[in-house]
Amino acid sequence: MREGIGQWSSAFSAMPKIHTAMLSNYLTIAFRNLWKNKVYSFINIMGLALGMACSLMIMLWVQDETAMDAFHENGTRLYRVMENQYYSGKIETYPSTPGLLAENIVKDIPEIEKASQMLWEEQPLFTVGTTFDKEKGRYVQGDFLTMFSFKLEQGDARTALKRPDGVVISKKLAQKYFPNQNPLGKSIRIDGKEDVMVTGILKDIPKNSSLKFDFLMSFDRWLKNNPWAKEWGNNGPRCYVMLTKNASLDKVNAKIKGYIKTKNKDSNVEIFLQSYQESYLYSNWDSGKQNGGRIDYVRIFSIVAIVILLIACINFMNLATARSVKRAKEVGVRKVIGAVKGILIGQFMGEAILIAFCALLFSILLVFLLLPTFNLLTEKELSLNFTDPSFLVVLVSLTLITGLVAGSYPALFMSSLNPVVVLKGSLKFKPSATYFRKGLVVFQFALSITLILGMIIVHEQINYLRTKNAGYDRENLLYMPLEGDLQKNFASFKQELQHQPGIKSVTCSQSDPLEVGSSTQGVKWPGKDTTQLLLFANNAISYDYIKTMGIQLIGGRDFSDQYGTDTTNYIINEASAKKMGYKDPVGKEMTMWNRKGTIVGLMKDFHYNTLHSAIEPLILRLQPKTENWGVVIIRAEGGKTPDAIANTEKVFKKFNPNFPFKYFFADQEYANQYKSENVVNKLSNYFAFLAIFISCLGLFGLASFTAEQRTKEIGVRKVLGASVSNLVGMLSLDFIKLVLLATLIAFPVAWYFLKNWLEKYAYRIDIEWWYFAIAALSAIAIALLTVSYQAVRASLMNPVKSLKTE
Amino acid sequence: MIKTANLQKIFTTEEVETTALNGIDLEVKDGEFVAIMGPSGCGKSTLLNILGLLDNPSEGSYDFHGTEVAKLSERQRAQLRKGNIGFVFQSFNLIDELTVYENVELPLLYLKVPADQRKEMVETVLTRMNIMHRRNHFPQQLSGGQQQRTAIARAVVAKPKLILADEPTGNLDSANGEEVMKLLSQLNDEGTSIIMVTHSPYDAGFAHRIVNLFDGKVVTEKMRV
Repeated sequence: MREGIGQWSSAFSAMPKIHTAMLSNYLTIAFRNLWKNKVYSFINIMGLALGMACSLMIMLWVQDETAMDAFHENGTRLYRVMENQYYSGKIETYPSTPGLLAENIVKDIPEIEKASQMLWEEQPLFTVGTTFDKEKGRYVQGDFLTMFSFKLEQGDARTALKRPDGVVISKKLAQKYFPNQNPLGKSIRIDGKEDVMVTGILKDIPKNSSLKFDFLMSFDRWLKNNPWAKEWGNNGPRCYVMLTKNASLDKVNAKIKGYIKTKNKDSNVEIFLQSYQESYLYSNWDSGKQNGGRIDYVRIFSIVAIVILLIACINFMNLATARSVKRAKEVGVRKVIGAVKGILIGQFMGEAILIAFCALLFSILLVFLLLPTFNLLTEKELSLNFTDPSFLVVLVSLTLITGLVAGSYPALFMSSLNPVVVLKGSLKFKPSATYFRKGLVVFQFALSITLILGMIIVHEQINYLRTKNAGYDRENLLYMPLEGDLQKNFASFKQELQHQPGIKSVTCSQSDPLEVGSSTQGVKWPGKDTTQLLLFANNAISYDYIKTMGIQLIGGRDFSDQYGTDTTNYIINEASAKKMGYKDPVGKEMTMWNRKGTIVGLMKDFHYNTLHSAIEPLILRLQPKTENWGVVIIRAEGGKTPDAIANTEKVFKKFNPNFPFKYFFADQEYANQYKSENVVNKLSNYFAFLAIFISCLGLFGLASFTAEQRTKEIGVRKVLGASVSNLVGMLSLDFIKLVLLATLIAFPVAWYFLKNWLEKYAYRIDIEWWYFAIAALSAIAIALLTVSYQAVRASLMNPVKSLKTE
Repeated sequence: MIKTANLQKIFTTEEVETTALNGIDLEVKDGEFVAIMGPSGCGKSTLLNILGLLDNPSEGSYDFHGTEVAKLSERQRAQLRKGNIGFVFQSFNLIDELTVYENVELPLLYLKVPADQRKEMVETVLTRMNIMHRRNHFPQQLSGGQQQRTAIARAVVAKPKLILADEPTGNLDSANGEEVMKLLSQLNDEGTSIIMVTHSPYDAGFAHRIVNLFDGKVVTEKMRV
C-alpha cells in the first residue's frame, strides 16, 4: 500500500517535469493507438460517454433540486411553521396552522421579525371587461413580499399587499387582461363577486422557486370569507416566519412549542419551525420526526449516477487492461530506454484522462440530444450552461475523476510490467491480476442485476397501483368545480344534466373523488373511550353519491330525499365500524360535531386517498344545500363520454356563462397521483438498460482478452480433438460463473433496498421469487450473447497459427 | 568498466527453484567487444539482463562504472540505464505506433535533450545506419534488416558507453546479419563497449573475447587472436 502511494506521488511529481516534446510523444502514441484500434476505441469511449452523459444529467437534476428556493435573500432566516398533532398512538405532522397564527405570533415572540399566512394554491375566476379565465395564485399577507425575494417590476413591495383589496399579478396576467395598458390601479373582478385593485406587477419568478403563482392576493380578505379558519382549533393555511438576524432556532422552537395551547386550552397541537429552504426536499414526517421527502430521490439518483459512472470506469479498466497485451512491448521498450514507473503511470493516466475528455465531448452531445426528453420526464428546465463557471468546474471534475478512476488500475498494471518478460513476448498474467479483473466484472454485473431487479419491482408496483381496484369505479367518471351560480342552482343543474344523453348520474361533494382531505376528532358514539383522540376523515355529499361513485354498500342504504331526517344520518366505511367496535353498525347511533344521528349505511372500504396511505375511518354526511365550495361529480355511460362532456358543457354554459368550462377525468387524475412513481419507473428502466449495456461492453472486452490469453490452450485442445462447440462451451462457462456469482451478491442487496422502498406503500406487491429468476436469466442470456462472439472466434482459429504465436 | 563477482540468480516459482546463474565472475573493459555463448537455458539472457540493469542478481556484487549496482531499486537502475546502456534485441522491439524517426528519438526525449540538438543527433544516426530515407515509415513497413538497423540506431543515438545485444542477428537472413555485425564492429572500433549474446560462432568471431556459459557458470573464456 505504502509503495502504491509512493508510486502515485512520484507519478504526479513527474508530471510537471514532462516537457512538451515528451507530451507530444504521448499524445501521438495515444491517438495512433486509438485510431489503430477503432472498434476498441469506439466501445471504450462510448461506454464512458454513456456513463458520463447519464451522470451529467443526474448531476444537473440534483444541482437543480438542491438549489431550489436558494435565491431568497433572507433565505437562512425564513421558516415554515409545522404542527405536530397528537392522536392516540400517533403523531401527525402537517404544515397547516390556524389562520390567525401569523398576526399573533409576530407580536408575541420577539425573535420573529415578520410572519405571513399563505393559502394553498387557489384558482379564482378573473374577469376584466369581456376577458375572463381562472388563474392560479396564492393568498398571502402584507409582509410576504419583504420576507421572500419575489421582486416587483412595478409597485411597492412594502405596501402592495397591505390593503385587503390589493392584488399583485404576473407580467403574463398583466399582458392578458390589460394589453398595452398600465395595469397599476386597474380593477379585476374576482369570482364574479368582488373587485380588487392591481397594486404591483411581479418580475418573472426564478425557475428554482418551488412556489409558483400568477397572482398574490390578500389573505385577510380570504379569511373574512372563511371564518372557520379563524378558530384556533382548526388548521388549514400555511404560516411562514422570518426570524431576527441573530435569533437561535432552538430557542425559538422551545418558546413556540406550546403556543397554540395558550390560545386554545383543548389543543392537541405543538408547533415548530422548519427551514423554508429545506422544506422543499425534506417534506415527509413520521411520528413527529423528519423522514426524507424528495431528498430520497436526490440520494437515490446520486447513487445511481455514481454506480453508472463506476460501471463505465470498470469497463474502461477491463478493456484497457485487455489491450495491455498489445501495449506491453511499448512499456518494455520505454523502461529499457530509461522510463521509470512513475513516468509511465503519468503517461497512462494522462491517456485515460484524454480518453475521458473525448468521452466528455460525446457525452455533452448525448446530453444535448437527450435533455429535452429528460426535461419532459422530470418537469424541469435543465440546460447546459457553458457560461456558468460552476458548470465548467463540474465538467472538468467529471473528466478528471472519470479519467483517474478509470485509468488508475490500467496505469498501475501496465507500468508494473517487467520489461525482461514482455520483451521476450511471453506476457503471462499473474492469477491475482486475473482475479482482480474478474472481480471487477462480478461487481459490474452485481450492480447491473440490482438495477434490473429495481426496474422489475418498480414496474410491478406501479402497475399494481395503476390497476388496483380502488373500491369505486373511476372509469367514465368526471368531475369539475362547483362554482359561480352552480352553487345556488345545483339542484336544477343536476335535474337538467341527468336528462342529457350519455349521462348516468350526477352528484356533488365537498372533497374531490380522489382525495378526502378533511378530518375531525369530533365523533362520538355510545361506549367510546373519551380519553382517546381519534381522527375520522369526513366528506359532505349530496344525494346519489354512492351510486355515482360506484361505491359498494355492504349494509343499509344510500342517503335519499325519501327520508327527511337524513341530514343528521351518516354512512360510514368498514374501517370506521371497526374503530367504533360495531359489528353491524347500521341503525346504531353516532354523533358528529354534536349532531346526533343514526348510521344508515355501511360502505366496503375504498381508497379515498392515494395508495401511499392505508384506508382510515371515513364518515359521509349529507349536505343537500351546497355550500361555497366542492365538486360536481358526473358518471357517464360507458362509451358515451364524449357525448356526456359535450352535453355537460352545454348545460354548464347555460347555468354559469361567466366561468370557463373545465373538467377532470377521475382515471387520468388517479394516474397523475403516481406521477413521481412513473418518473422513477421510466428512469429506472433507462438506467438499468444503460448499466447492463455498459457492463456488456466490459464483458466483451474481458472475453476478447481471455480468448487472446488462452490462444495456446485453445490450439492445444483443438489439436487433441476438441470440437468448436466444446471450446465455445468451455470459454462461455467461465463467464457464466462470474455472472452467477454476481447474482448471488446482487440478490440480497436488491432485496434489502427494494423492500425498504416498497414499505413506503401501504398497499404493495410481494417480492416474488420469479423477479429474481427473470433478472438472473436475462443477465445470463445477455452475458452469453456478449461472450459467445469472442468464444466462437477464438474456437474457430487455426491451431497451427495459434500455436505458432508462442 | 564492468566487474561482477560471484553473481547468482535464482528464480523461484511456487514449487521449483531454478538456479540460472551460479557464481559468475566477469570483467569487461572499456572498449571491449565480448560475445557470450552457450546452449539454450544456460543463463546467457539472464546474465545480459543483469548486466543491462534490467534485473537484480539474487546474490553477488556488480560494479558498473565504479558504482555498486547489485542492490539498486528499479527506479535507480532506470536512472542509471538511461543514456549509459543501449539495447539491441533479437526481435527488434520497435514500438509499432511510432515511426522510425520517433522510435530513435525516444531515448533522447527521456534524457530531455533540447529539440534542435535532438534533431541533429537523430538525423546523424539515421544517416549513418542508412535508413534516413525511411524515417517516416512505421516498423511494419520495413524489412527485418531495416528494423534491426533502426533498433541499433535507437540503441546508440544517446551515445551510450555500453551496448548490450541479445542475438541481434537471430531473426535476420545472412546478408542482413552480416551488415548488422559490421555496424556493431564499427561502433566498437569507435570506442563503445559491446556485450553480445549469440548462438552463431560466425557472429562471435567479431568479438575480442568469447565467454562460454554452461548451467549458469562460465566454463571457458577465449581471446580472439
